[in-house]
Amino acid sequence: MRIVLADDAVLLREGLVRLLTEQGHDVVAVVGDGPSLVAAEAAHEPDLSIVDVRMPPTHTDEGLRAAVQIRARRPGAAVLVLSQYVELSYADDLLQDRRGAVGYLLKDRVADIDSFTDVIARVASGGTVLDPEVVSQLLVRRRANDPLATLTAREREVLALMAEGRSNAAIARRLVISDGAVEKHVANIFAKLGLPQDEDSNRRVLAVLAFLRS
Amino acid sequence: MTSIPITPPYPAAASPRRRGWFAQLGVDTAYVVVGFPLAVISFAVGVSLICAGAGLLAAFLVGIPVFVLALLVARGLAEVERSRIVPVLRRPRVPVVYRRSAPGSGWLRRLFSPLAEGQYWLDTVYGLLRFPVTFGTFSVVVTWWASALGGLSYGLWDWSLPRDANPEPGVIVVNNRGLPDVLGIANTTTNRILIYTAIGIVFTVTLPFVVRACALIDAWLAHGLLNGVAGLRHQVADLARSRDVATARTAAAVSAEANALRRLERDLHDGPQQRLVRLAMDLGRARVQLGSDPDAAARTVDEAITQTREALDELRTLSRGIAPPILTDRGLAAASAALAARSTVAVRVELAQLPRLPALTEQTAYFTIAEALTNVAKHSGATSASVSASLDGDRLIVDIADDGRGGAHLAKGHGLAGLADRLQGVGGQLWVSSPPGGPTSIRAEVPAVPAASVQEGEAG
Repeated sequence: MRIVLADDAVLLREGLVRLLTEQGHDVVAVVGDGPSLVAAEAAHEPDLSIVDVRMPPTHTDEGLRAAVQIRARRPGAAVLVLSQYVELSYADDLLQDRRGAVGYLLKDRVADIDSFTDVIARVASGGTVLDPEVVSQLLVRRRANDPLATLTAREREVLALMAEGRSNAAIARRLVISDGAVEKHVANIFAKLGLPQDEDSNRRVLAVLAFLRS
Repeated sequence: MTSIPITPPYPAAASPRRRGWFAQLGVDTAYVVVGFPLAVISFAVGVSLICAGAGLLAAFLVGIPVFVLALLVARGLAEVERSRIVPVLRRPRVPVVYRRSAPGSGWLRRLFSPLAEGQYWLDTVYGLLRFPVTFGTFSVVVTWWASALGGLSYGLWDWSLPRDANPEPGVIVVNNRGLPDVLGIANTTTNRILIYTAIGIVFTVTLPFVVRACALIDAWLAHGLLNGVAGLRHQVADLARSRDVATARTAAAVSAEANALRRLERDLHDGPQQRLVRLAMDLGRARVQLGSDPDAAARTVDEAITQTREALDELRTLSRGIAPPILTDRGLAAASAALAARSTVAVRVELAQLPRLPALTEQTAYFTIAEALTNVAKHSGATSASVSASLDGDRLIVDIADDGRGGAHLAKGHGLAGLADRLQGVGGQLWVSSPPGGPTSIRAEVPAVPAASVQEGEAG
């Protein structure tokens, strides 16, 4: 997979390049700030851009804005944003165009190389992946007459994994239950939350996120 | 040499010093005695002008200027009185501000403006009221002085009094009875001298008190009417000013605090956090490599160990920046010596004699020294620097000087501005003298109320 990498911290950049190379990916460009990321992305049109949120010159959410810019120019371009912190508003910015192929992860997740590799693959193939941290922040938000309160504990677990962008099969493996059981839970959740049934897993994730954010 | 005080100094008004009772007696006597003719003038002019003004009020435009003239005269006399009461009341003169009409307003408005200022009217009231009061006090003072001097010196001029049963032609003695006759004592020269001298002594002994009382009555009347309102205004202004100072102080503290927190967050983000993420990444790689390539795994683990050490170093540096342990343990002198030892420039430290000070004082002084020495090392090009600190009452004075090229300033966004904020936040001040070409000297004044002697024992 051809990857463009943007991070201003040399230490992390080097580590990531080695890791990705060892995993058999091809890091075609390495940059250290927002504008050069946008330029490099346009030049290489990679399969995936991995972007640090905080970069020069502003040291705020430079990377995030670059990501939004990239996807405005090339809709559906896969972007995985890494951040030291998880902020709902950052996730909202990324999900706004509802096209999928975005990921938002805490930097620490990189250490779990298997799941990081998995995330890279899912985002590059058009999936939506949110850090469990973001999902739990979304689930914590309480509302009056919250339909979430009507969910069973198992259904909440399934909902959380769904929001992280996992497929039914992945959820079944994770919870060690049958695919059929997952399908039943998913159907219940959609009914209780009043969401339209959808077979496409990415649209399903987006529906769940839209509900959680509303 | 430019000195930039961060908080403007508010010098306390000099208070007239106390004088001996004899000098005070002179001051008081002169005050009352001169006050009476002034009161007569003031009363006469005031009454005439006011009456004339009132009489002419029918002819509007003529009566009003006469009133204004009365007010202006009253003000002139009031200004004289304000100066005169200073040595009597032994308190500094209160500056009285008369409201003026706005600049550029017409002559009519300027003419009428005194009528709208209350202090003019108070001055006028005083001008009238002082006459009866001064009349009384003046009489008492003159009587007391006359009785005291006359009584004491009676023995010298008793002979000059006409006492003849057969007076010279043309002199009519109506009733030549003396005080001894009234008291039923033989009217001899000795008795007369004894009695009058005794009376003189009594008046002399009471003289300072009576004169002082009279002077105070006059002076307090003047002070009350002439300075009372202005005094209140000043109190209000003082309160407002101290509130402004407090507000500025809080704002400075808040901004210094916010900046420090932002910097700390940046330092954490750029330092230890990155190292730890990289460490986690390397360990993850090592685990993958273990199966396929144990040698590569060993190399990766070695790198991970290096990352760990460096993360620890960075954390140590950071915590030193937040609250250096040596400062808490050993105090400012030891902490400054440590700072000097780490500096790339030779630094002489002179603050061995300092007792332990409140934590906030020590911390502020420490960061001042640290920031200043950082600047010396980074920007000054100096070859040597010195740090000294001494207690001046309840202020700690810290001086940092170098032999560098100067040019340091307090402009916003520089380290020194943050330092100035920090100092202002604790009620201190910062001065920077740094002409182009050098040398630079920085003085910080930090409030320090030395904590009780317990500290001495703990310091060891």
